[in-house]
Amino acid sequence: MATLEVSACSRWFGNVVAVNDVTMTIGPGITGLLGPNGAGKSTLIHMLGGFLPPSTGTVTLDGEQVWKNHNVYRTIGLVPEREATYDFLTGWQFALASAELHGLDNPGEAASRALETVAMQDAAHRKIRDYSKGMKQRVKMASALVHEPAVLLLDEPFNGMDPRQRLHLIDLLRKMGANGRTVLFSSHILEEVEQLANRIDVLIAGRYAASGDFRTIRRLMTDRPHRYVVRSDDNRALASVLISDGSTAGVRLGDGVLHIDASEFLRFAEVLPRVAREAGIRLYEVSPADESLESVFSYLVEK
Amino acid sequence: MSQPDAAPAGVIHDIGYRGYQGDRLGRSGIRFALFTHSLRGVFGLGRSGRSKVIPFGLVGVMLLPAVIIAAIVIIGGGVGPVSTPAYAQYAGQLTAATWIFVAVQAPQAVSLDMRFGTLPLYMSRPLTRGDYVVAKIAALTGGVFLLIATPILILYLGAVFAELPLGENSAAAGWAILGAVLYSAMFSGIGLLIASLTSRRGFGIAAIITVLALSYVIVSSMQGAIGHGMGEERLAGWLGLFSPNTLLDGVQVWAFDAGSSSVLPVPDGAGPVFLLVTLLVIGGSYAALAARYRKVRL
Amino acid sequence: MNRTVIRITAQGMLGGRRGILVVTLGTLVLVVAVLMRSLSTLSDRELAEFLGAVSLTMLMPLFGLIVGTGAIGPEIDDGSVIHLLSKPVSRATIVQSKLVVALGATIAFAVLPTVAAALIMGGSAGLALAIGVGAFAAGAVYCVLFMLLAILTRHAVIIGLAYALIWESLVSSLVPGAREISIRQWALSVTDAMAEPGVFTSHVGLVLAVTLIVGGFVLGTWYAGERLRVLTPVGEE
Repeated sequence: MATLEVSACSRWFGNVVAVNDVTMTIGPGITGLLGPNGAGKSTLIHMLGGFLPPSTGTVTLDGEQVWKNHNVYRTIGLVPEREATYDFLTGWQFALASAELHGLDNPGEAASRALETVAMQDAAHRKIRDYSKGMKQRVKMASALVHEPAVLLLDEPFNGMDPRQRLHLIDLLRKMGANGRTVLFSSHILEEVEQLANRIDVLIAGRYAASGDFRTIRRLMTDRPHRYVVRSDDNRALASVLISDGSTAGVRLGDGVLHIDASEFLRFAEVLPRVAREAGIRLYEVSPADESLESVFSYLVEK
Repeated sequence: MSQPDAAPAGVIHDIGYRGYQGDRLGRSGIRFALFTHSLRGVFGLGRSGRSKVIPFGLVGVMLLPAVIIAAIVIIGGGVGPVSTPAYAQYAGQLTAATWIFVAVQAPQAVSLDMRFGTLPLYMSRPLTRGDYVVAKIAALTGGVFLLIATPILILYLGAVFAELPLGENSAAAGWAILGAVLYSAMFSGIGLLIASLTSRRGFGIAAIITVLALSYVIVSSMQGAIGHGMGEERLAGWLGLFSPNTLLDGVQVWAFDAGSSSVLPVPDGAGPVFLLVTLLVIGGSYAALAARYRKVRL
Repeated sequence: MNRTVIRITAQGMLGGRRGILVVTLGTLVLVVAVLMRSLSTLSDRELAEFLGAVSLTMLMPLFGLIVGTGAIGPEIDDGSVIHLLSKPVSRATIVQSKLVVALGATIAFAVLPTVAAALIMGGSAGLALAIGVGAFAAGAVYCVLFMLLAILTRHAVIIGLAYALIWESLVSSLVPGAREISIRQWALSVTDAMAEPGVFTSHVGLVLAVTLIVGGFVLGTWYAGERLRVLTPVGEE
């Protein structure tokens, strides 16, 4: 089956390194490419799709180079993020043209099948310029599926989709994954990836931060100590009271604030106000220090 | 001791934010701001370095001959048999520079707003569509006027320093400036109208150049072939109505008694018609522009 | 050559405002010819001068600019070319197919009207054919050149404009050495060779001109294909 191999691949634009020494293998099944905005997901997907040459390293599909190789598109289907399509065509004409360009024997049938798969057959006779964003996305999907590719690359496919369309797309991708196709989609939203991918690859600031089964990574993340920054009228006293409770893993006094590592955050959320009240300490500010995806990921990177 | 609820949901910090309580300029203020912004954009100011190349390059192309002529006039002490430099014909002789300027800057002024969808940003202010059109027209017309009038001024200064007859030169230069107003109004009207019909800058540039340059070449060639070849100068003179350059040249020749820069002179009695058509074209293009922006989908 | 690419390019290019402009230009040439015919009769020499100025010098480069850049420029500009590039079609085929559309439009709306104009204005069949072939040669090379420019840079129209207006009209007329690098001069040589002697004036030898035309066309097409292979469809910035 089709396997994409990325080997020691880097890509830079002038001084900006978008993808930094990434080595990964993407095989059959659904893989989620996860990372914050600007992490290099789009760049990596463009390289996987043969639209950007790696500055160093190689990107191959079953051993064949992807860059400068138009035959590789028999096996790959690409759904790009940006909306631009041929506005002046109707959805049907666009899907048909895709089918013809793939050299299929029966392009009309393939096109209508693809349009049915994305539930666009009713709107197919309107021009693409009159479509909503979700419809444009679906017609792009149809055009990518028309030749039943073994590899499907989707760049932020859930962007701008309403819940019904999302469910539909998730369903579709699940079926494809179950059929043994290689599906790779990128997202910066954990929940999307959670619902769909068997494996996730995490990209942060261009580096390959984590990979593997999603549930394992999720568990690692919820098991992490949660960090809080607390300001009170008596930090030291609060620190000594907190540390005597098991939900606190560590305290550190900073300038005017207290840094707390909580190992069981549910219990901590209950303990903090209680012990503060009992000790007569006034809390001025409690803020979480690591709720952003970035810090979650950076925690992962440290691990 | 009472305790506040622990772990408050959020805190709003005072970082000195204040609302704006002062005067707000009205519609005219916004219009003027859009005008200055667009005028600066016409010359590439306030944009990337690359967009300054063409405007300033063309300014250089327009100014250089004027500077050279002025220098020659001052050093040589005169312009030969005539007592004034050719103020009014200057724009006509260097018209290719004006064509390129309008062709490149008109789409810059209006097509980009349509392409990148910034029109709604403008229209959601107390700025009507008419205001937008007025500001853009004023900006491009102003820019083209500066492009044409500055060399005329330089020629005039050269004549003054060379102590050529002051009265004659002032009159000629003055009329030429008036001609420059007509030039800039017509070219920018046509250019903006064409540019507003498409959101693709490249196509706008090509279309404007085609209208301005091709019409001139066709009319000149026709005049050349008919007029000189067959002696039908009168009839061929009327063809000058069909190209902006010859149209304006005809007006200048008739109204300001300037020398001509076209192939054929204006036939007798045609002067007022030329002027009328000029004003109609200018007014018509502005009206069409306003109509276009009334209809355009934001 | 790929029929689908041809179909899509034709629809995109000629279906909108660009198509209106193209058709208008062709009609304009005919209107001018009819007008000239009714107003005067021209000798062969004058006819050659007229059509040389209008068609070869001005119309063909502008037309080549409009259809040459129009065949691929807008797609590259907004990034929709990625849909074409993500298909197992060789880039050379894509370029050739788009070129077919550009050439077809050039022939239909620029070359044929020029030939018709020559005949309407009283030129001999030989003269009309000569100028038609010259116009076709010029148009073909312009289409390739401007399509290549559109693949190379986003500022293709401005650069092409500078070439058409400044180089072709001005420099190559004034600077003798520059004539060898002027497409118009190459086309003029061909026309001159086919017409009666003395009707046209050309400055480039025929063999050189033909070599440059054919070579330029073939080389330009090949190079455009190569550049398309390494194009990174970035889309709007």
